[in-house]
Amino acid sequence: MTAQEVRLCGLLLREHFGEVVEKVGTHLLRGGAQNLRTIIHETGISLDLVKKSLCVLVQHGACVFSSGRKGPGSPTEYRTSCDRILRILRYPRYIYTAKTLYGDTGELIIEELLQRGHMTMSSTVKTVADRLTQNMEEGRCMDYSEVATAFAKLVETHFLQRCPPMVKAGTTGSATPATPATPGTPAAPVSTAPPTPESFPDCYKVPHMTLVGRGKRQLCSEEGEDQRNAKKARMDSQTHGDEGISWQVNFERFHLHFRDQAIISAVANKCDQTSSEILRTMLRMSEVTTSPTATCTKPLSANEIFRSLPTSYNIARPILDQYLTLLVDDPMEFVGKAGESGGGMYVVNLHTALANLARATLESVVQERFGSRSARIFRLLLRKRHLEQKQVEDFAMIPAKEAKDMLYTLLSQNLVQLQEIPKTPDFAPSRTFYLYTVNQLPTARMLLQNCYKTVANLIERRLFESKESKRLLEKSQRIEAILASLQASGAEPEQLTEVEEMITATEKQQLEALRLHINKLDSAENQVDESIFLIESYVTSTASTS
Amino acid sequence: MAGRAGGRGRRMMSFSVEAVGINRGDSLPPSIQQPTPLFPVMEQKPLPLTGGEEAEYLLALKQEFRGAMKTLPFFIQPAAARRDVERYSDKYHSNEQTDGLTDWNPVWKKFPKELRVKKPSRDGVSAAVSCSDRLQSGQKKKKKKVKEKEEVLLKLETLQKKEEQQSSEEEEGEEKKKKQEEEEAEVEEEYDEEEFEEETDYIMSYFDNGEEFGGDSDENMDEAIY
Repeated sequence: MTAQEVRLCGLLLREHFGEVVEKVGTHLLRGGAQNLRTIIHETGISLDLVKKSLCVLVQHGACVFSSGRKGPGSPTEYRTSCDRILRILRYPRYIYTAKTLYGDTGELIIEELLQRGHMTMSSTVKTVADRLTQNMEEGRCMDYSEVATAFAKLVETHFLQRCPPMVKAGTTGSATPATPATPGTPAAPVSTAPPTPESFPDCYKVPHMTLVGRGKRQLCSEEGEDQRNAKKARMDSQTHGDEGISWQVNFERFHLHFRDQAIISAVANKCDQTSSEILRTMLRMSEVTTSPTATCTKPLSANEIFRSLPTSYNIARPILDQYLTLLVDDPMEFVGKAGESGGGMYVVNLHTALANLARATLESVVQERFGSRSARIFRLLLRKRHLEQKQVEDFAMIPAKEAKDMLYTLLSQNLVQLQEIPKTPDFAPSRTFYLYTVNQLPTARMLLQNCYKTVANLIERRLFESKESKRLLEKSQRIEAILASLQASGAEPEQLTEVEEMITATEKQQLEALRLHINKLDSAENQVDESIFLIESYVTSTASTS
Repeated sequence: MAGRAGGRGRRMMSFSVEAVGINRGDSLPPSIQQPTPLFPVMEQKPLPLTGGEEAEYLLALKQEFRGAMKTLPFFIQPAAARRDVERYSDKYHSNEQTDGLTDWNPVWKKFPKELRVKKPSRDGVSAAVSCSDRLQSGQKKKKKKVKEKEEVLLKLETLQKKEEQQSSEEEEGEEKKKKQEEEEAEVEEEYDEEEFEEETDYIMSYFDNGEEFGGDSDENMDEAIY
């Protein structure tokens, strides 16, 4: 948990859950595992609010609780981690992916689950059906069964998973080894890390649910009616046979999907459309057989690939072989050859692909920040590993003075490091080699922190801009509300124009400029998140292999 | 410290100058006298953002999501700051804000016991969908009340059992009465909330002191959410 990550998590929590949850969340992030009393004492927030905040955090999976370290009797401890909260940045991308894969129904299911943390299948289906019915024309309703089939499809492809059943805090779970906690033992083994949802066999099993009906349309918009309807719905209290089974979004699966997409689009940019289609086929075939942390997919024979190509691509068998050979020979090393049987066995090198994509990101960062010649030096150092000052000038074909300048700028920004190789054990400066080098992994980590800082700055700037123009925004919202109510009650055009004129022209301009700025800042956040995803995947992939 | 006598002009550095490229006679760049500027001038301008349909859709999704989160019960407002002078209407306002968690009924099984928030119990029957204890006891209470009334009605029935026509009428009357009771219970609930709370004679909007006017316009979804 670096300072930048904590700052960004705090801002995200503030925007989505309010300032109280932000305080509690950042306190937990900075302080590690703590129990309730400590949190209350150190944050100075009232008991009720702290309880509510913890409930909200647990509901959304940002916080896990476990029995205390001192044994079963001690108070429960709460622990947060940055990763889950940083996912909030990526929510729009998840929702959009669900839309492209499963249409509007899928989109709304994912959106509801992201908003609520976790929900039972029946309540999700009902809410989504109601929302879809709202947007349909008069007289048409969304049937629950359609939404349920979309839900089942999402579960089948592992985009949704069951929440792991809680091990009751306070009981020595059968998972932990039965070592009696004697007072003498230092730090009795902490209960094993919270079980991943996938460790439970029923993780992807759709429960049998009895839910028949159609989405309800809310006809009147008055508050009183809504409350009465809501009360009636609550008093129905039907049980649908799936109580206690709540579902959450499986972020890992979405990440695998994004990774595949990134690889395919990289190949499409570098080679041509057909190669990317071949690669897409290969990845689709290995979706189920490859584990999330695998270095490469299982070997696929060229015959299988040929059979599984989409029918719209009528390429002949020898052409397919040529394409595969080209992909194997490509310096990007996305595809590797693993054998000769079955017409040639091919694998997709996932970790290598991620490393290459991260490297491309680093190179483009250097290029955009320091110019193309600095980028040339950077690429040179990446390929040649260690070079002396003189060699850099020669290989990069850049005059000595400028090369020196660029190298020092890169060095001061910590993108390039100096490695000393002594000739004598006393490291005397005149008798030591000084080599410039680039280490990809630490540089990637540093850039990742820069990305977090960037997003945090963007969010802060956006909040600042909104605060500056708060008065103006409120005024415009009030006028919109008045206009809407006038239009609903059917007023004459003169009244409408009169109300519209309450905002002066300069104010309109200001509002327009404000909206433009905020949209730009928001859009920039989304794009920085794409880089964050690539670099994060690369860093985690190296962590799992090492 | 001895080596840093200012103004001597001798430069001694811990690493060899030749190897790193500063040859004899080259002037070093001037030493820095003050912190670097807060917003240094950028030689390379950053690239423009990628536009396009997908980016705009993602932007809209993001802003809608943020707006939706603000309306959900998960958005916890801090306790309202105490006004400088206590107002009479504060007594009737405080209930509004604590309703956040009641809209959301968590499955308490999944939460540690100490996090359970006790709702202030109301006179009306609370109607929650999740199987919390309160719901079951509430339903039992309601069923008991209905059962008691049913028993009374049954007694009346048996007393008047001699005349079959009258008994059939009674049955219909029973059903009607049951419906009426349920409706009354529902209606009573609403009255409970609005008017019988705190035993005032005024409805709750009487105590509005105009602070929330125009604050939230939920109906208008066209306006972008910031």
